[in-house]
Amino acid sequence: MNKKYFYLLLLPCFLFLLIFMVIPILVTTLSSFYLDGRITLEGYRSFLTDHYFLNILFRTLRISLLTTTICIILGFPVAYYVSKLNVKLKFIFIAAAVFPLLISPVVRSFSWMAILGREGIFNTLLKKIGIINEPIQFLYTELAIVIGLVHLFLPLMIIALIGVMENIDYDLVKAAQSLGASRFTSFIKIVFPLSVPGLVVGSVLVFVGSLTAYTTPQLLGGSRRVMSTLLYQQSLTLNNWYTASIIATIMIVATFIIIGIMNKIAQKLNPKG
Amino acid sequence: MSLISLEDVTVAYDNKINILEKFNLNVEKGKLISLLGPSGCGKTTTLRLIAGFLEAKAGKFTFKDKNYTNIPVYRRNFGFVFQNYALFPHLNVFENVAFGLKQRKVPKSEIRKRVPEMLELVDLNGFEDRFVTELSGGQRQRVAIARALVINPDLLLFDEPLSNLDANLRIAMRVEIRRIQQELGITSIYVSHDQEECFSISDEVAIMNKGVIEQLDSPSVIYKYPKTEFVARFIGFTNFIDFEVESSENGKLLLNSNHSKFRALKTNDVKVNKSYKGVIRPESIKMKSYIENEKQSENSIKGSIKISTFLGGLHQYVVNTELGEITVNSDREPPYDAGENVILSLPEDKLVLVEKG
Ligand SMILES: Nc1ncnc2c1ncn2[C@@H]1O[C@H](COP(=O)(O)OP(=O)(O)O)[C@@H](O)[C@H]1O
Ligand SMILES: [Mg+2]
Repeated sequence: MNKKYFYLLLLPCFLFLLIFMVIPILVTTLSSFYLDGRITLEGYRSFLTDHYFLNILFRTLRISLLTTTICIILGFPVAYYVSKLNVKLKFIFIAAAVFPLLISPVVRSFSWMAILGREGIFNTLLKKIGIINEPIQFLYTELAIVIGLVHLFLPLMIIALIGVMENIDYDLVKAAQSLGASRFTSFIKIVFPLSVPGLVVGSVLVFVGSLTAYTTPQLLGGSRRVMSTLLYQQSLTLNNWYTASIIATIMIVATFIIIGIMNKIAQKLNPKG
Repeated sequence: MSLISLEDVTVAYDNKINILEKFNLNVEKGKLISLLGPSGCGKTTTLRLIAGFLEAKAGKFTFKDKNYTNIPVYRRNFGFVFQNYALFPHLNVFENVAFGLKQRKVPKSEIRKRVPEMLELVDLNGFEDRFVTELSGGQRQRVAIARALVINPDLLLFDEPLSNLDANLRIAMRVEIRRIQQELGITSIYVSHDQEECFSISDEVAIMNKGVIEQLDSPSVIYKYPKTEFVARFIGFTNFIDFEVESSENGKLLLNSNHSKFRALKTNDVKVNKSYKGVIRPESIKMKSYIENEKQSENSIKGSIKISTFLGGLHQYVVNTELGEITVNSDREPPYDAGENVILSLPEDKLVLVEKG
């Protein structure tokens, strides 16, 4: 086929994204620089000097970073194990990893409320064993948000990692061991760097997902707002669309910065990845 | 005393069929021994067992008089050269070769000295900064050899190291491997399914079939005197004739086949009145035109040409005889015609009796 016409295949998708994504993003972003009929950075200045807003920004970044780190730590061993299974078992494990994605985040958050609440399963259990006398505040803390987000996004990390790990030639690990590397060292020196592309994809998915998640922090965080719930409050509750557009722009910029940093780290860890 | 000894070793994957069963192998220090056999006969399994990648279900592996059976791979100090090179794709040539030295906590200054020395040995000086993906197959295998050698291994293991290379490079590389092996005097085990490759570089060759070593000898002994039918077939004998041993005296055998008498040298342990396969290479048989009433010499038989194939420089003929079809090579010009009557003589020192297999 003629190359010129080949590009036509992209056209429908391109138009869709242009109309429903690129243009709205541009409108939102541009309107954040526009106040009272003039172009100004005033909105950003007041946002970034306001302790209440800054707290929320840092809390959001903190929660996303923690969630991503925990997903990496929990996901890596699982992905390595699953990637070495035979086809049939691998399918079962991957299906098991994907399965939670079929349950709505709302349902999952409610389950966590039942588990983490003052009279929830967890507190009741701890009281029964006699570790505590008074219930501990789990629900409506940052910890609760992190737990909910890890539960939500761990499958993405695992699947991204399995994707690269199952393509690592196991002879490389054997070669490393024959050269004197223990199991642990060969994992760190060979398997880990070669998994970096999957790690980057997984981390970006989890980080950006955590940064923009709405339901989970809303239900498990209580009064502890994050950027997405703040955005909702500003736009729909307070009808302050100007501040909302600033929050949205900051979230977009943060996303790009994170992707950039991840790529830098990837290049350091695996120059050929 | 052998450097390496495998005693009654049994190996299975996933605990199912035994790939090796009560397997035995001894290798002397400084020798290069090859394992040669058809695909799937257990060569790689044997090598991986010695390397420590696989655990034996039963049996013992002794190295330098020490029991190595349960010593993990990374404490064995054996170099392994893989068929697919198994170079680390995220490291450059220098870092690949330096990998084993780093594991041994060799000081940086010494690593910087020894890596270039090794690369020099495999004729790759100046390639330090290249990434693996920027090398040709032959260069990759040289890096793999350098990487295995730089740790001064007690044993070097090769698993079909040349089978991914093209024919010319294969020949050049096997000469290179033999040169390096002899220069360093390093004991090596070399796996291949290519007969010429094994014969040209080995001190000894073990011919394997279905997890068993059928014969272990020097290449020239195997080439001339195979012990079993399988070995004979594998190394290019084409004629397999049933014989019964009538008598055995002073290293000479008198054989009987279909009422014709033949003589052969006793090269293997054969018993009188038992039947064996007599094997002979097509190029060892002498052929001439049949002349009526001419007195026939010993060890010869009459036949007629059935098929003639041009092999370039010579013809290969399939000849019908009382003993069955016999394949013969001849460079006579003009070539024999189909249907022509001929006399074949089988020199007694070229006719070898082997166990039926
Ligand atoms: N990882 C494995 N799992 C199960 N069976 C295997 C495995 N590797 C090899 N085998 C089987 O073991 C036998 C010997 O294989 P191998 O040692 O690789 O043969 P070779 O190297 O002589 O071609 C073959 O029948 C093969 O199918
Ligand atoms: Mg093999």
